[in-house]
Amino acid sequence: MNIDPNSHADARWQALLARSSSTFAEESTPPYGFVTSTLARLREEKGERELLERIGLRALFAAFAILVAAGGFTIGVQLQDRYDLEPGLNSVFQADDVPLA
Amino acid sequence: MDSPIDVARCLQRWQEGDESAAEQLIEHLYPVISRIVRTNLPRRDHEDDVIQEILMKTFSRLHQYKGDAPMTHWVSRLALTTCLDRLRAQKIRPEIRWTDLTPEESKAFDSAWLGSTTSDASEAIQARDLVDKLLSTLEPEDRTLILQVDLEGRSLEEISKLTGWGISKIKMRLFRVRAQLRKHIQTLEKRP
Repeated sequence: MNIDPNSHADARWQALLARSSSTFAEESTPPYGFVTSTLARLREEKGERELLERIGLRALFAAFAILVAAGGFTIGVQLQDRYDLEPGLNSVFQADDVPLA
Repeated sequence: MDSPIDVARCLQRWQEGDESAAEQLIEHLYPVISRIVRTNLPRRDHEDDVIQEILMKTFSRLHQYKGDAPMTHWVSRLALTTCLDRLRAQKIRPEIRWTDLTPEESKAFDSAWLGSTTSDASEAIQARDLVDKLLSTLEPEDRTLILQVDLEGRSLEEISKLTGWGISKIKMRLFRVRAQLRKHIQTLEKRP
């Protein structure tokens, strides 16, 4: 009787799987210490994330404060320049048109 | 199945900072993840590290879980993707010859006949090492597919849901994988 080599190989594969099936079975409970170490990693990661968020928020506030200060300074300088001009002049460009006495 | 614990309540408690809720979730998800990791990765592939990696991913992506399907389905998909990424990083063995087998694996090959089972743990491990060796000749997706069908006994529809592949793609892949496995087994049968 001739044996089909394909079905023979398939049977061998199925038999190997059947013999090794116990090694594929899942563990129903985590090993000792696994939950504790996972919780510790979760805590650590959460802490790092919160730290980054805090730093990011502070950087945002600092950037906003610098922006407000820079804006205030620029407006202040412009107003100061305007007060330094003759009455009726708003900028140095207008001063060019004023006839010299 | 999510019945042993109230997953939604646990998630809410965890988001409020209750660590015992995270503990419950870890214990609930562990067997599901363990099954996927054991099935899809070779035996010596730092199982607990991979399971922990999957759990960390799960917790960091909890905002993506919509709650429209059981959490175990969502986590299974995440676990499978992680296993596939890990397999992709490993080298695929081009072929397997009789001389590549250890004496224990050769013995396991000779004892593997249809209907032959074993209750001996060391024989099971030897057979598993040989299975891992044969699987190392396959593409990661093909390896996952053949195990889902032959070991887990999943239907094509179930695999389609889990992997997102179409049925015809699965059938075609399965046909090709079977042919590849046959070729490797027939090479081993010829001996040196």
